[in-house]
Amino acid sequence: MSSKTGKPKLHSAAWRISIWATLAFAFGTMIVFVFLHRFIEDDIQQRSDAWLAGEVEVLGDVAERTPKDALYGRVVGEVAELAGKEVPNKLRSESTSNDSVFFLQTGNTGVIQLWVGAGSDTETLKAIEESNMLPDRPTDVRVKGFGVPFRVASIQVDDGSRIYLGLSERDELRVLNSLRLRFLLLWLLIVLFGFAIVFYTTRRMLSHVRRITDAASRIGHSDLNTRVPTTQRNDEVAQLALTLNRMLDRIESSMHQLHTITDALAHDLRSPLTAIRGKLEMSLSAATHGEQAEPIVSAIDELDRLTEFLNQSLDVAEARADALRLTRTPIDLDELLRVMIDLYEPSMAERGLQIRFHSAGSISIEADAALIHRMIANLFDNELKHLPAACIVTIRLLTEEDAVSLIFADDGPGFSPEMIPQLFERRVKGKDSNGHGLGLAFIDAVARAHGGTAAASNRSTGGAQITVTLPLVSSGNGDSASMLLHAAS
Amino acid sequence: MRLLLVEDELDIQSFLKRSLEEAGYQVEAAANGKTAEQLAIDGAFDILIVDLGLPDVDGISLILHLRQLGVGAPVLILSARRSVDDRVRGLEQGGDDYLTKPFALAELLARLRNLLRRNNPPGNEATRLRVLDLELDLLRREASRSGIMLQLTPQEFVLLEYFCRNAGRVVTRSMILDQVWGMRIHPDTNVVDVHIYRLRGKVDTVGQQPLIRTLRGVGYVLKDR
Repeated sequence: MSSKTGKPKLHSAAWRISIWATLAFAFGTMIVFVFLHRFIEDDIQQRSDAWLAGEVEVLGDVAERTPKDALYGRVVGEVAELAGKEVPNKLRSESTSNDSVFFLQTGNTGVIQLWVGAGSDTETLKAIEESNMLPDRPTDVRVKGFGVPFRVASIQVDDGSRIYLGLSERDELRVLNSLRLRFLLLWLLIVLFGFAIVFYTTRRMLSHVRRITDAASRIGHSDLNTRVPTTQRNDEVAQLALTLNRMLDRIESSMHQLHTITDALAHDLRSPLTAIRGKLEMSLSAATHGEQAEPIVSAIDELDRLTEFLNQSLDVAEARADALRLTRTPIDLDELLRVMIDLYEPSMAERGLQIRFHSAGSISIEADAALIHRMIANLFDNELKHLPAACIVTIRLLTEEDAVSLIFADDGPGFSPEMIPQLFERRVKGKDSNGHGLGLAFIDAVARAHGGTAAASNRSTGGAQITVTLPLVSSGNGDSASMLLHAAS
Repeated sequence: MRLLLVEDELDIQSFLKRSLEEAGYQVEAAANGKTAEQLAIDGAFDILIVDLGLPDVDGISLILHLRQLGVGAPVLILSARRSVDDRVRGLEQGGDDYLTKPFALAELLARLRNLLRRNNPPGNEATRLRVLDLELDLLRREASRSGIMLQLTPQEFVLLEYFCRNAGRVVTRSMILDQVWGMRIHPDTNVVDVHIYRLRGKVDTVGQQPLIRTLRGVGYVLKDR
């Protein structure tokens, strides 16, 4: 039976569902975040491009209007430096030294006229020339000595010179990096949270299913009153429970009908049998001569046999329908067999039969005492009726892991081969048998009613063997089970 | 001994009444729950026989109702049902007894005697039983006849003890199986007869008056006269 405690197993459905759902969820949110990231990245780029375009235009304007005298370099340089202080996305904690912006003016011939910024002017110019910039479009330029590229915009001044304004993408990347880190953390949190929710809900749902399964498996033929637990909600699981319960209602009602029929039959037959037996007994006490008494005695014997046949016949019928009612009590099979052997040994000895008993000692099962007694008596009666003299009956009681086997083996003539497949059918009996042919069917019925089996075969060394296997743990209504179950209202 | 017989099948009621009266009981009979209730309240009965399948009321309910009304006499329940239901078991544990139909008269009488004895327990249990020249020492588990020790197995001693406790009365095979081996079974072989045959071989030796008599079709009786 499955575990009842809440320890999740790695192969449980709750785990599988949660992991797949979380994977799908993680993938989905990842895609959302990637798109968001791209959007923000483009936005930042556009803003810095707009700034660059604006500033480079201002600088071009200033360069044009400023007279080309000795002060030209200072004026344009200061304007360029001022522009560098208004860089977008700049972090406040950044040091005062400005290395995120450069200004470069080249003459007609490509000679550097003015340079404001950190790093080397020639290296920068070389990088700009190598990156074949498009006019009026900011472009990425990788300058030797800087880890991050510069975004460079340019403008042609009327005098033929060209102005370049470069903005380091360092701050932009830093913003994006911190954004990515935040996104990652947020994503992890969402995924974990999603996993927790999915796992919790599926486990709750599935634990309900498991409770239903446990309850349903515990409802055996001896316990049809209990129902699987239901809930107030109207979901699929509740529907499953309701459907199961309705099915159990129907089974219980047909069982009840069967019991009513067999009980009525038993009652209707037993009452006249009681009256007949009583009258026979009274006439027997009145009969003085042996000749008068003899037919009465044999009539009483026949009546008793008929009664026993009726009982066993109804038991077999009910057991075939899985409807035999059991009253389970603890029975020590070893002790019971010793008592039975004590009871049967004289009859066996009188017919020249020997009994050998092998048992590993006390073995207790939960079973219906009356039925088990009658079943074992049937096994003995079967040997007594069918064995010729000088045979040995070997009785073995074997304990396996979760079952106990009771084996009756003899060294007699065995079953006739054509009878073996149908031995446990009703009314199957040997040609010279004087029984009513119910003995083996009854043994099978009792074994099955207890969740066990009965098997008959011929031994390879000759002789017949009947094996009855009964489970050690009764399948069905334990105390713990009845506590978990509550009847459906 | 006053006995109230509650049984709706008139055939059964009449033969039971006759047999019980022959056995020395004063019998009042009722065929339904209502009459039974009136009779039980009016007359002080020592013991009741109640059939479970009454036309107007369930036998168990009747017994429980009578208990509530203060009727304390023990009850022998007659049942034509196959399975003994839990309520019958409850009553059995409460000191009552049940018998399934059909039954042997001898067994009915034995169960009635048991119920009456259980309700009026004799002071000290005797440690010795004596029937004619047969003597049983219950403490030492030894039996002797005319002073000669009998070599009995433990099981044979229990069987003989059961006979002695019921000396002069009929015991059936199913009573012996129930009381000596503790099983309510009905083997269709002569297992009990062989035990009796062996016991008789030890108790009734040649030249002595045979004590264990067979009543064909009924059972056995240990002579006490």
